[in-house]
Amino acid sequence: MKAPHTKRPNPIADDGDEFTFCSTCAFSAACLARGLGKPELRELHVLVEHIGPFKEGEHIFREGDEFNAIAAVRGGTVKTYVNDAEGREQVQGFFLPGEVIGLSAISQGRYPCNAVALDTVILCRFSFTSMAALATRMPGLQAQLFRLLSEDIGKAALLAGNYSADERMAAFLISLSRRYAARGFSASRFQLTMTRTDIANYLRLAAESVSRVFRRLQDEGLIRVDRRDIELLDIKRLEELARSVLRE
Amino acid sequence: MNTIPPFDAELLRRYDMPGPRYTSYPTAPQFTSSFGEPQFREHAKRSNTDPIPRQLSLYLHIPYCFSPCFYCGCTRIITRDFGRSGPYLERLLREAEEVSRLFDRDRDVIQLHLGGGTPNFLRPSQIADLIDGLGRQFHFSRSAERDFSIEIDPRLIRDGDIAAYAALGLNRASLGVQDFDPAVQQAVNRIQSVEQTLATIEDCRRAGFRSINVDLIYGLPKQTLEGFAKTLDTILQVRPDRLAVYGYAHMPDLFKAQRQIVASDLPDPEMKLKLLGLAIEKLSGAGYCYIGMDHFALPEDDLARAQAAGGLHRNFMGYTTHADCDLIGLGMSAISHIGDSFSQNARDLPSWENALDQGKLPTWRGMTLDPDDVLRGDIIQQLMCRGEIDIPSVEDRYEIEFESYFEDSLRKLPRLVADGLAEVEPTRIAATSRGRLLLRMIAMCFDRYLTPSADPSVNRARYSRVI
Repeated sequence: MKAPHTKRPNPIADDGDEFTFCSTCAFSAACLARGLGKPELRELHVLVEHIGPFKEGEHIFREGDEFNAIAAVRGGTVKTYVNDAEGREQVQGFFLPGEVIGLSAISQGRYPCNAVALDTVILCRFSFTSMAALATRMPGLQAQLFRLLSEDIGKAALLAGNYSADERMAAFLISLSRRYAARGFSASRFQLTMTRTDIANYLRLAAESVSRVFRRLQDEGLIRVDRRDIELLDIKRLEELARSVLRE
Repeated sequence: MNTIPPFDAELLRRYDMPGPRYTSYPTAPQFTSSFGEPQFREHAKRSNTDPIPRQLSLYLHIPYCFSPCFYCGCTRIITRDFGRSGPYLERLLREAEEVSRLFDRDRDVIQLHLGGGTPNFLRPSQIADLIDGLGRQFHFSRSAERDFSIEIDPRLIRDGDIAAYAALGLNRASLGVQDFDPAVQQAVNRIQSVEQTLATIEDCRRAGFRSINVDLIYGLPKQTLEGFAKTLDTILQVRPDRLAVYGYAHMPDLFKAQRQIVASDLPDPEMKLKLLGLAIEKLSGAGYCYIGMDHFALPEDDLARAQAAGGLHRNFMGYTTHADCDLIGLGMSAISHIGDSFSQNARDLPSWENALDQGKLPTWRGMTLDPDDVLRGDIIQQLMCRGEIDIPSVEDRYEIEFESYFEDSLRKLPRLVADGLAEVEPTRIAATSRGRLLLRMIAMCFDRYLTPSADPSVNRARYSRVI
């Protein structure tokens, strides 16, 4: 039975509590494999706290802030960005439920970018020091940390090539689809929590081009757009279009 | 659902009660003054953020009329001083400029409507200045589908006016007629000859207007079956593409001009029904399609085609073929519908002028729609445009379970079903052919804001009668 009252919500991992991990948790599998549940982690001072909610437009950290923790997104979407020398915003990435923000701060001890909530965001904050210490005793957790770090680097490099607007957009949509699917949400229907300008900035396109591409993909029957709701109607063709960007 | 529904006097009599016309849901009485300029700006800004932002629809309110028609419930200013329009236009363009800055430039204006009052109180050169100015501030669509329309009072039309409008890109006209019967015209203070009316329609045709609408009203003082039949026959001879046949709503407490109407001259409910029945019979015979509410169109008109193709929509300007535009209302009392918000400008001239003179937007009141408002608004829109609600698509789009969500609404339907107005099936709720003239009775079941029928006096003060 469907929920009687809500419009498609932004996915939120709401199943975590004092004893159970959220279904989207980036670390739960590695920890549980070693018999470490949430209470055990708390005792090890790894799991710091659930924080938020952050309101739309509220900053989670700013460039130059001292790095103290990494955080997994529990609900909502976080955008990271920097301002270039002319003060223009450059969007670096979007972080969905289950994804980890703050990794790029590890080497410098300070956050190299700003992080802002695009909608209502709830985070799960971990002490990186304790997590790293725990990881030395848990190969699974260490591997997971390395994986997250390399994903974070790979993400930024992805769109640097010389791709067409359609290819960039297809890659963006396929990436979102896979990331939602990996956390147990629908792969074909989701809400775009980022604005048209953010998408344009991230994909290095003009805002008008973003709309033109969305319209074209819709006219070709690949997607359906209803305000911020997106439905991927032909994932196979979108994947083909995205292949060169995603290097598959 | 294209044919004109059968007329059933007994049924209409039973459902003669006040109810909203649902040019919006929620309706204007729900707007509050806690919604002002900051909220308007915020919604406008937000409306640019969708992946494909909506196209724009501009409504411009020209409030001036040179003479008061007594039946009128519009916000208007009666004056013979044509010079007053200059300062008004100057402020209107200032408002447009300020508002246009809130919308991204790649959002095309696909619909533009000059309403009133009397838009052709303005001289063609003034209308040219207005449209030129708007064209600099907004990006006009170049699509052949665009609708740029003007309401016309034929009594003020001079030679060459219509051709001048067409040259400005206006392609639709709506003419006020109401009734040609001299006794009625006298009683409502609107003396308008058949000749000037038909000549104006002829001018519109010659100028290449894509569609011409004529407004008629039934239920006016001194109206008779013979007189109204003659009016209908006269108009049907020139076959306007669209006809609106409105029921006159006598609400003298709300509309001052209506106090000039002698209540004893008004046709009784029986007579009103006969007048409506006559109009339906004649339009039916002439091959018109029923669009919904009070609107009829020839089968080859865009509205009738859109209805057949499921592409009909409804907003403050009535029925339209353009899906979900953000609607920007400019001028005193104008209503906007941007994103999930409704808002209305100051309703009196001094307040509207003062706001603009102080560099503010003249937003007077409005409301932000919650998800429930959006959902119910969509359902009512489906009823008004297609005569039915498609339950699976509503469940899919809003992720609800229709039956449990609308438990209260569904409980009100059996009465309408018993009266043969509506059909309730597992996948759809539809107006029967009998019920199509009473669409708003079905819509009212889904209106969260209507006070329970235990106290109909509240609705009576706010809304006109259904018939």
